[in-house]
Amino acid sequence: MAGLKDGDNYKDGEFFKSPTLLKLICLAVGVGGLLLFFILRFSMPEKAGAMGYSWLFAVVFFLSLSIGGMFWTLLHHASNSGWGTVIRRLMENLGVMVAVCLILGLPLIIPQFGFRDALWEWFPKREAALEVAVEKAEKGREAYIAEHVKVLEKSSAELEKAKAEFASLDSPSPGHRAHFERKIAALEKKQAELDSYDASDEAVLEKLTDKYFLKEEALLFVKRAYLNENAWYIRFVCYFIALVGIAFTLRRWSVRQDTDPDPKWFRWLRRGSCGFLPFFATAWTFLVFDWLMALDYAWFSTMWGVYLFAGCALNSMGLLIIMVTWLRKAGYLKDIVTLEHYHLMGKLMHAFVIFWAYIAFSQFFLIWYANITEETKFYLMRNTEFWNGYTITFLVAGHFFIPFVVLLLRKVKMMPMVLSGVAVWNLVMHFCDLYWIIIPERGPSLSAAAGTDIQMMVPGAWIFDLLAFVSVGGIFGFFLLRQLGTASLFPCRDPRLDESLNVVN
Amino acid sequence: MSASTDNSKSLFGYVAEFQTASDLYHAAEKVTEAGFRRWDVHTPYPVHGMDHAMGLGKSWLSAAVLVGGSTGFLFALFLQFFTQVSLYPTVVQSKPTNLFTLPAFFPVTFELTILFSGFTILFGLLTVIMLPRWNHPLFNSPLFEKATDDGFLMVIEARDPKFKKEKTHEFLTEIGAGKIEEVAH
Repeated sequence: MAGLKDGDNYKDGEFFKSPTLLKLICLAVGVGGLLLFFILRFSMPEKAGAMGYSWLFAVVFFLSLSIGGMFWTLLHHASNSGWGTVIRRLMENLGVMVAVCLILGLPLIIPQFGFRDALWEWFPKREAALEVAVEKAEKGREAYIAEHVKVLEKSSAELEKAKAEFASLDSPSPGHRAHFERKIAALEKKQAELDSYDASDEAVLEKLTDKYFLKEEALLFVKRAYLNENAWYIRFVCYFIALVGIAFTLRRWSVRQDTDPDPKWFRWLRRGSCGFLPFFATAWTFLVFDWLMALDYAWFSTMWGVYLFAGCALNSMGLLIIMVTWLRKAGYLKDIVTLEHYHLMGKLMHAFVIFWAYIAFSQFFLIWYANITEETKFYLMRNTEFWNGYTITFLVAGHFFIPFVVLLLRKVKMMPMVLSGVAVWNLVMHFCDLYWIIIPERGPSLSAAAGTDIQMMVPGAWIFDLLAFVSVGGIFGFFLLRQLGTASLFPCRDPRLDESLNVVN
Repeated sequence: MSASTDNSKSLFGYVAEFQTASDLYHAAEKVTEAGFRRWDVHTPYPVHGMDHAMGLGKSWLSAAVLVGGSTGFLFALFLQFFTQVSLYPTVVQSKPTNLFTLPAFFPVTFELTILFSGFTILFGLLTVIMLPRWNHPLFNSPLFEKATDDGFLMVIEARDPKFKKEKTHEFLTEIGAGKIEEVAH
């Protein structure tokens, strides 16, 4: 066919020279915002709780974009796709941002910042309940041991008595003998059980602590294997290793392929991705369980992981479209990315607009229909006061109906600037979606913890939300710009480059 | 072929074989340029970009599907609101019977939208490709059998206004056709 592009002509790649000014602006905004945020945090200790929600929101927003980048890379390799090879490096660069986001998330999990206990009430509640339980156990221990000794003595006395009675009989009838034998056997068994019972101080203390913990906070006692400090921190380390490890491996192997003509890296990537996918999915699912679902530890939704994932995939595709358009405006990838790629990315974005709506509605629908108090709480809170109009405007209309209808048109997907506009719109809606997930918990949680009347909103806290968003965004932008310049903008020796350059759909 | 003895009125058209998909693609571009309208290509597998080479426009089917889907959407809402809210208000799980019952109607609305869209696609497509029919003149051609095996074939129909028996034959040879076969009705 006429005008087929040959990948060999592009084998040297294309190198991005990060605009220094833009990078410096990002860094200044990011670091300035960060400093201001934490100065405010330590000068206004009473606002620590409210600011914790702001920081969580900002970190999760940018984390979700990089998780999406990782997802598209993994999917591209695992499905052995060819269409997106030319934009795959951008996905990989987005993916490694996961390290920046998780490190920025550290203030959330370090208790000294005062965010952890305000965000996840189960930490202070569990601590308080355990304190009470231990205190009660300490107090009741001696009485408990004395009681145990008494029972033991009584049981052994009974056994002795039965044995003596049996021995005093001269010639018992068979029935009589059987009666005593059974009685003695039963008493011996009871005695053995009581003897084997660990009556040491530690064992008794543990048993009593559990008993009083159950009485104090039944739900936290039942969930104690999952919701406890040690497991929580170990889990965070696992998420960090899994997500950062996968992102960096994907990028490293792909960059090696740029200079190495041996296609083994490509094969490793394909095989590796299939193996990485389950770890990636598990890590992200449990990360959002721990960080977002646990904002209310009594609430649960089995669709939570996939709901958050749908937003990630949708919006990182949007960010990719914006990045490609921006790079092309700046004179890069001109010959590499064509309208066909835009069309494909637009179609994927459209598909995930629908997927997000499908998952979001399914989650709502199941809870709405089942009408179980502990589940409906989530939506009740988000249908109250201000949040009711917010849900309908931004989530129902803005996040689904408008982009759905606009993206139905084929022409829109073939016009880079218009498609980027839709992508920006989707990112704004993603902002609203995550805001809606995290922030409605703030007012009720903080006012309940302070023991005042329940308030839906914390007045003035939106300033912290914006400040946190801008500072995390600035740092994210700086590292992303830096990352883009460290390797070719597309995998220039990938075996599938020809296919991707000439893709038609 | 027996067809060659018939007069041009019973001629269905020409089937021309090309060596490769690429040859066929370029030939298609030339046929489009020459202004033929009643013609088609047949290949064992989809050739990317062929619709562009053939100068095919946008099908009206997508507009029809939009109408079909919308009909299904509105029909489902009407069906449920009329029966469950107006005619016989049905209280399920103490849910209201008014506008706020809407979420309960979504699954059926979704399904009927899909169903009506699917039917529109099916029947619309059958209309576009004029199926079902008992037979097609192309099945008279032994060469055409290669379309499902290893042949890259082009068919120009005799009812095309530009079709001239000799000239079109020459034209096909010119644009690189190997074997050319006349097909009778």
